[in-house]
Amino acid sequence: MFGLCVIISKVANLLINTLKLGAGYTWPGHIALTLYPSILKSPRIRFTKGLILLSGTNGKTTTSKLLAHILNGASFKIVSNTSGANLKNGVVSSILLSSSLKSLAVDYGVFEVDEFALSEVLKDLTPNVLILLNLSRDQLDRYGETDIILEKWKKSLSELSASTVVVVDEDQLEIRELCRSYSGKVDYFGSDNSYLKNTALKGMFNARNINAAVLACKNLGLAEEDILPALKTFKPAYGRGEKIGYLGKNYHILLAKNPASFNYNLDAIKTSEFDFSTLLLVLNDNIPDGRDVSWIYDIDPVSLRETFKGKNIYFAGSRSKDMALRLKHSGVSFSEEHTFGNLKDAFAALSKIDADEILVLPNYSAMLDVRDFLIGRKIL
Amino acid sequence: MKVTIGHLYPEYLNLYGDNGNVEVLVYRASQRNIDIQVVDLSLGSVSSGTLDDIDILFMGGGPDSCQTTVYQDFVEHKKAGLTQHILEGKPALFICGAYQLLGNYYKGADGSVLDGLGVLDFYTEHPGKDAKRCIGNVEAKLSEELLRDGIFIQSNVFGDSIVGFENHGGRTFLGKGVQPLGYVIKGFGNNQQDGTEGILYKNCIGTYLHGPFLAKNPHIADFLLAKALKVDTLSKLDDKLEIAVHTASKMLKQ
Repeated sequence: MFGLCVIISKVANLLINTLKLGAGYTWPGHIALTLYPSILKSPRIRFTKGLILLSGTNGKTTTSKLLAHILNGASFKIVSNTSGANLKNGVVSSILLSSSLKSLAVDYGVFEVDEFALSEVLKDLTPNVLILLNLSRDQLDRYGETDIILEKWKKSLSELSASTVVVVDEDQLEIRELCRSYSGKVDYFGSDNSYLKNTALKGMFNARNINAAVLACKNLGLAEEDILPALKTFKPAYGRGEKIGYLGKNYHILLAKNPASFNYNLDAIKTSEFDFSTLLLVLNDNIPDGRDVSWIYDIDPVSLRETFKGKNIYFAGSRSKDMALRLKHSGVSFSEEHTFGNLKDAFAALSKIDADEILVLPNYSAMLDVRDFLIGRKIL
Repeated sequence: MKVTIGHLYPEYLNLYGDNGNVEVLVYRASQRNIDIQVVDLSLGSVSSGTLDDIDILFMGGGPDSCQTTVYQDFVEHKKAGLTQHILEGKPALFICGAYQLLGNYYKGADGSVLDGLGVLDFYTEHPGKDAKRCIGNVEAKLSEELLRDGIFIQSNVFGDSIVGFENHGGRTFLGKGVQPLGYVIKGFGNNQQDGTEGILYKNCIGTYLHGPFLAKNPHIADFLLAKALKVDTLSKLDDKLEIAVHTASKMLKQ
């Protein structure tokens, strides 16, 4: 059955790619799980040196990409869901697409897992290291309150094998509290920026992501000298500090998909090189974003006012006017003519202005749209 | 002219941008040079001893865990002042969980019953954990009673509608003769059955439209401000963007 699932997954993936059907990283896993619901428990899936799972509201993609980069740099063979397809079906897809007909044999598995899907994945897979990054409000209409996720995580931790090392942010008090019900080792990271300085990443939130990845690697037995060179060569994940050139201008994309990530970005803009005079804010209300955009009023109004003071601000996306109104209420001034429903018009307007470096703050599907527009290709 | 907003439990009850409503009230008052102040009414006794100095009461929704914490404090320290505030006809806005608290009781998904403050005659019941939550965009037509008010007749460029987003498990049923805030055109409203949305009692409004309700419905913000100032008209503001957002919200899918 395992071999059959591998074949079907690879054929499905080939078809999806050939026919350009879009979100190709979820379907192979989805089909495989229908045929073989317990496939993740199959003895044919082997991570010979270790398995890392990580979850949390923000920082999953950057941290998992960093882990994959460090482990690759240390010459290990790994499998990872770098596409960001982080539900159970995305994890299964990544595994099957890297498998032979007989088995998956890699040194390490590195998977980011959606915070709501984590419990289900932990029923089938026992990681050597589990990183719990943070938890804050995100997509209330899809997930409900964070209390619901905390409750699910608590149950999973109480059932987790004590052989797993749980890596946790020392400042995430609610998550620390959960870990009291866990009988195995818990290891803590903080916001120290000594590793951050060795990377191309910026911002306090990235210091935490890096520290989480480094601590996980150390728990897997890697030495400092295996880790440091990889930090120096790491490039930001798509849409997370990524720079894309378009018609003579550089667009710097900082994903801002919920109140916490928006607030992190405001801090990064205030304190770092993202301090550009022109900004494009893109807000969509598609299903992956959560259809409720009320969260924009959870962005710190004082920080908004201070950070955006004197900037030239443009708006795009299906809810661009909602974002403009949010800025108006927090006392940021802008021209209402700079509000565009679609990206094409926004970039046309931006191409005429006298600024070479432009900062883009999009929410999730908006980030995919922006990349699609600027480089003609979506990641998913 | 001076207005004082009493913001109940701001650190506990701000489930999804609900505090934005206070920002909107402050913004619209400041634009008109009205001296506006926000007093946080947190856990413990109110420092002045009463809520007499409060002109507008505001309370947002919260996660279930916080609502229990707040409930005890409410009964002990705020209930008497809040009841008086509402019965005297002073303006107030209660969102989602806060709205539910004003009624006779809340029956949870597990069947447990939490007494409400019983200020207004209605009750809320969660039909059980398997029942779907009421989630989505809402458009409602405001009750005639509200539309007859001076502030709506004078300066209502937003028409007779309110728009927003709802996300609630409990279903609320109003007592006989109790006025809803409006009637849904799109969305679930109070209970998915009788078409009502929210509650209107004198100048107190309860609604399931959470988050920045007043941002998209500035006519309601102006209603609360006008009642606090005891005036029938307020000077006009440049509401082009507000009107655009309000109108666009009507086009959103439920």
